[in-house]
Amino acid sequence: MAATESLPAPGELSDDQREAVEHLLYRLADDEFVIAERYTEWQVKAPTLESDLALSNIAQDELGHSRLWYDLLEDFEYTESQLVWERDPGEWRHSTLAEQPFEDGDWADPIVRSYLYDQAEHIRLEALQDSTYPRIRDRVPKIVQEEDYHREHAQNWMERLAEDEDGIRKLQEALDRLFPHALTLFAPTDEAVEERIDDLGLRTKSLRVMREEWLDVVVPYLQDLGLSVGDAELPEQYDVHHSEFDLPEHVGRDQTHSDAWFDLQEEFTHTYRRLDRKQANRIMKDPDDS
Amino acid sequence: MDIEEVKRRAGPREFSPKDDLPEEYRKAATRMIQFHANSEIMGAYLERPFIREAPSLDRKLAFSAKVQDEIGHGQLLYRAAESLGLKTRDEMLDELANGDGKFLNCFHYPMNDWEETPLIAFFVDGAAMRRQATLKRTSWEPYAHAMDKVCFEEGFHVKHGEAILHELMTGTKREQELTQEAFEEWWPRIIQFFGPTNDKSTHHDFASEVGLKQMGNDELRTAFLNAYIPKAKKYGLEIPDEPRIRENDDGTYEVVEDDLDWDEFFTIAKNDYEGSHTQINGRKAAQDAVEWVREVLDEREEREFGTSQQQAAD
Amino acid sequence: MIWEVFRQEDAGDYHEHCGNVHAPDRDMALMFAEIQHARRKPTNSLWVAPKPEIGEVDTEDAKFGGTTDKSYRWASTYDFEAAASEVAESTDEQVEAERRRKVQQEKKEAKGGD
Repeated sequence: MAATESLPAPGELSDDQREAVEHLLYRLADDEFVIAERYTEWQVKAPTLESDLALSNIAQDELGHSRLWYDLLEDFEYTESQLVWERDPGEWRHSTLAEQPFEDGDWADPIVRSYLYDQAEHIRLEALQDSTYPRIRDRVPKIVQEEDYHREHAQNWMERLAEDEDGIRKLQEALDRLFPHALTLFAPTDEAVEERIDDLGLRTKSLRVMREEWLDVVVPYLQDLGLSVGDAELPEQYDVHHSEFDLPEHVGRDQTHSDAWFDLQEEFTHTYRRLDRKQANRIMKDPDDS
Repeated sequence: MDIEEVKRRAGPREFSPKDDLPEEYRKAATRMIQFHANSEIMGAYLERPFIREAPSLDRKLAFSAKVQDEIGHGQLLYRAAESLGLKTRDEMLDELANGDGKFLNCFHYPMNDWEETPLIAFFVDGAAMRRQATLKRTSWEPYAHAMDKVCFEEGFHVKHGEAILHELMTGTKREQELTQEAFEEWWPRIIQFFGPTNDKSTHHDFASEVGLKQMGNDELRTAFLNAYIPKAKKYGLEIPDEPRIRENDDGTYEVVEDDLDWDEFFTIAKNDYEGSHTQINGRKAAQDAVEWVREVLDEREEREFGTSQQQAAD
Repeated sequence: MIWEVFRQEDAGDYHEHCGNVHAPDRDMALMFAEIQHARRKPTNSLWVAPKPEIGEVDTEDAKFGGTTDKSYRWASTYDFEAAASEVAESTDEQVEAERRRKVQQEKKEAKGGD
């Protein structure tokens, strides 16, 4: 196996290189943080005690992953406060899939959301396994293993809900609403920077390629369950999915977000601001030391 | 087995689902364990908004884990209660939603601000932990097993609460003042956690005689005050003047019972307090909204096992 | 349905009963058991079995080990010096098991009272 070239250490990157790394890390960290935040809304509200525990675990896993990615941004001298608690909400780069609010009782939503997200995550992590940036490369194995459970969990639930008339209707509604937002997972933050990310080998597959792979997996799976994926259905005479989809109004990656995000951000920074905190306190060891 | 034999044999982990126990024992045990299970769920329900409010990543992780543990404890406890053969888990959860299920006084009050969280997470959980440690010797074996697991997990809850308290009380002057205010508001409720003094407790005697209850309300309260008054002082909290608490020479504490609002306590015990309705109905609404999912799961189970059970009988 | 959960701490250990989960089928039971029973304790493997499938026979129904003299099947009955260390070990283990069985018997008789 050819050795993966490595980029220099965080402190020695050129400005261009650093910008590319930061964009990539913000995508990763912000996605995990925001989706985790949404998942925690289901704690104590899940349909059964057991399902409550499972979803809570997934929420904590994702939050833990965001912590690992924010830690890599701290290599560039940012603090947790600057990255999470004091950062302008208009600067975040998570996919708008993560920020969507839930309707009361709509269990189909976190399931479909998790399925779409976790399949994309699987592909994304694969593309980071051989990143030329060692700091990212080194974190991937731990994260990948936890994500396996998330995918299995989502699939188990989807299959059971799909067997039921009510269930499949709710799954379809959730899918219709969430699918366009899921596409933003693969949208660029900035076209030039994304090209640089690919050229530098920070990621071994481009956003386009990953999106195709993702569609190749999720569309047949959802169709097999009896769900319709509208625009994404592969027309018979083509072997590539539509290259132009209608993306939602807010894409997230380019720092445009829905009102629901700004409300969410206000909620999770409420205590920090009310108590006039200047730093975010740690309980655990630095990931590099554990 | 008759009740006299139960009282004679009553000892740690003495009785299990195999034993033919009189109804009086089963009722008392179910009531006690159900109350405990309900309290875990309602405690989790009270604390959950603070997962969102946590002001750091690590604190958010800890809060999510704590709330998760409480749901897990509820799961263990409903099973321990179910094993007595009087009520199923579903029946007990229905009772909780309908306002018939009783739970700890502290969880009938609203909690609005971050500085209130250590009152529950440190003081109330500390009180609970002491009680749970004694219950490892309860006579109903499944309950004792549940306590093994609960005690194993609970230590982190109390330390998490202490860490938040520490952070607040070593923080800004405003944080300290807010925390002191919260402490004054919650302190009487925390003392009432232990229930009325032994004399006035209706169920106490029987539960003790059959080995279900291992320590009286007064002893538990004293043990708690012994451990937690010094901690409160260490963090710079001032113990409120009321209720008046006197320390005796033998290390026990006397609380002036009339300084506590027992009318409020007994209203809460009937789930009739304003906060009771808010909490119970809030949770009920959330659970009703996902009833459709439980129905899907039940139908699946029936399809997969309903038929096969018949075949097995043949 | 209730599923009983059995946890194996380390490879080579026996699976021990550690609790249960409510789930509609085996895959969901496994998925839930992973979270509920292996979050903090060292775990190499988990089994789940439907509660109704678990049969039980206990000491009141079955006189475990028999009530008539079975000393013919105990190494300690035979008066030879152990031919090798493993024979001695086996004898010692059986002696200990018999001792504990006697203790259990005595406890039961004391409680039985009548």
